[in-house]
Amino acid sequence: MLPRMPSACLIVLLVALSVINAGCNVIRIKLNTPITQDDVAFIEPGKTTLTEVIAKLGVPDSITDSYIGVVATYRFLDMKYSRINFGWLLKPWTPVDPDLIISRTGFGVDAYELLCDSNWVVTHQSFLRQLSGPLFNPYPF
Amino acid sequence: MPLVRALGIALLGLMLTQGCAFSRGTLGDEIKSDAIASIKKGASTKAEVLTLLGAPDRLLQVNGRDVFQYYRYDAKAGSLLLIVVNFSRLSVKSDDLFVILNREGIVEDVISSKRTDGMEFRFWPFGD
Repeated sequence: MLPRMPSACLIVLLVALSVINAGCNVIRIKLNTPITQDDVAFIEPGKTTLTEVIAKLGVPDSITDSYIGVVATYRFLDMKYSRINFGWLLKPWTPVDPDLIISRTGFGVDAYELLCDSNWVVTHQSFLRQLSGPLFNPYPF
Repeated sequence: MPLVRALGIALLGLMLTQGCAFSRGTLGDEIKSDAIASIKKGASTKAEVLTLLGAPDRLLQVNGRDVFQYYRYDAKAGSLLLIVVNFSRLSVKSDDLFVILNREGIVEDVISSKRTDGMEFRFWPFGD
């Protein structure tokens, strides 16, 4: 059994905990559902039709025409932002709000593009960037 | 000692009292499922589509056909504000509808998806 902690120690611990975590922000923004390599593994260029792709991945965000066929594009974003304000450490002892902020944003913008022929059969497919996915890491250097 | 206890309770209360924020934003009108169901492939005309759904957000020419694109975006943001640590998450999804018309102005195909169904307010930024 743990020894009972005196109230004063508990208060100090809570204050310490709040100061350690001071001024942190963790934000995530997702646009549509990111598509992975596994999601598109079923697509076989020359065989799979756009209708089959739509049945599995949903409707693309845009369909455009080109000289070599129709381009269907799925766009998605997985942005991660984290920020720490070390100025909060000094907040209890100063009359002003000091800021010492480090932050980092990983935008994670990507798109999956399909090129289809005039019969709506997929001829080429590729990710725009093939992002591995940014991490929550506020260290900017 | 009562003062210390009161301070402790107040501090604990302060830390456990979680501030929450919920925000929502939409772009475009809802694409009604019954309107989509009313469009018949090979039978409905361009005029009927326009009557049912209004003017398209985008008019495309693809593969020798006219394509009407309708879209609607829905964004839901949730925040957990713990005074010193804040967690936020914003989810944006779209509903899309493509109506493909042949050269005679008859609907050849209708493709739609409703991604916004089941989208929830979330504040926890980690995980999927």
